[in-house]
Amino acid sequence: MSKIKGFCCNYTLSVDDDALRQEGLVPRGLEIERLPCTGRLKVPEILDAFAEGADAVFVVGCQIDKCHNLSGSYRASKRVKYVKEILKELDINPACVEMFFAGRGETEPVVAAARVMASMAEEGRDTDKV
Amino acid sequence: MIIAERKPMKELLEMVSNVRRLLVVGCRGCVAVCSAGGDKEVSILSAALRLGVKKAGGEIEIDQDTLVRQCDPEYIDPLNDRASKYDAVLSMACGVGVNFVADRCPDVNVLPALNTTFYGANLSSGEWKEMCAGCGACVLHLTGGLCPVARCAKSLSNGPCGGSQGGKCEINPDVDCVWQKIYDRLSGMDRKEELRQIMPIRDWTTSGHGGPRRRIREDLLP
Repeated sequence: MSKIKGFCCNYTLSVDDDALRQEGLVPRGLEIERLPCTGRLKVPEILDAFAEGADAVFVVGCQIDKCHNLSGSYRASKRVKYVKEILKELDINPACVEMFFAGRGETEPVVAAARVMASMAEEGRDTDKV
Repeated sequence: MIIAERKPMKELLEMVSNVRRLLVVGCRGCVAVCSAGGDKEVSILSAALRLGVKKAGGEIEIDQDTLVRQCDPEYIDPLNDRASKYDAVLSMACGVGVNFVADRCPDVNVLPALNTTFYGANLSSGEWKEMCAGCGACVLHLTGGLCPVARCAKSLSNGPCGGSQGGKCEINPDVDCVWQKIYDRLSGMDRKEELRQIMPIRDWTTSGHGGPRRRIREDLLP
């Protein structure tokens, strides 16, 4: 089972991730960490998630022009891009980390993101596992 | 300020391949301002190294700290005691900091995390440009404040070469010909006649060609 770590801002995911797992909507290996804003997410936290065993990491923030904190999700997207560069340098597939955007309180994009990343992790698991 | 950039991760991982306990030390001077070796970069590099070493099947314990500066003895001398419990200290200072640690901390295995690149200015967030070569014989009063040593690909002293086309340098169409800029600037200041004066052949001994440079101010000595 792939281990997927998701970082979601408080304004996107409106449902507890335990509930999503119980309903079978998201992969069992998914762990979601809620943040007040994805703009608070730092590059080392994403890298640490991989070091702690995540096969894939995703970040879901507000729509880029509708961030509750104006530029939080934009900042997060730039940090995700930087993490991709570091992963490339470490010979880890940069597609293992992705940024997604969701409307306020929309759970569906988060579920979709989790499934995309789980599917990607399953495909590349044997070659890229840390 | 001194501009630097992180070395490639592969080079750094090879450097620490035999290290089990590592202290990553940043500097809050120039390299913090140019986002290469301050607190934030120390955290990022430490996390990246942990991940890289783990991926390679190794083990490493990394502690991190950032000093006020690594080019003043009062900040680095404590490393003599502190670093004894580490196999190596990975300095995120410029080359000055790494050298100074090596000079003053005889038992510390100091390693460089950065490539020190140039003296430059911050054009915008994330963009730096070389402005000074530290040649030790400044001629900026003759050139409208624009440096032909640092900003001309050939460091010419008396006007542009034949490769100056449309105000751009032949090495790259994105690079301005600094001699064109000097001419334009002095013309705008009604000073272009000054350019008729030939600059003598430069004495490069002040530029490090006479060995490592040293500056002493008697009034400040202890």
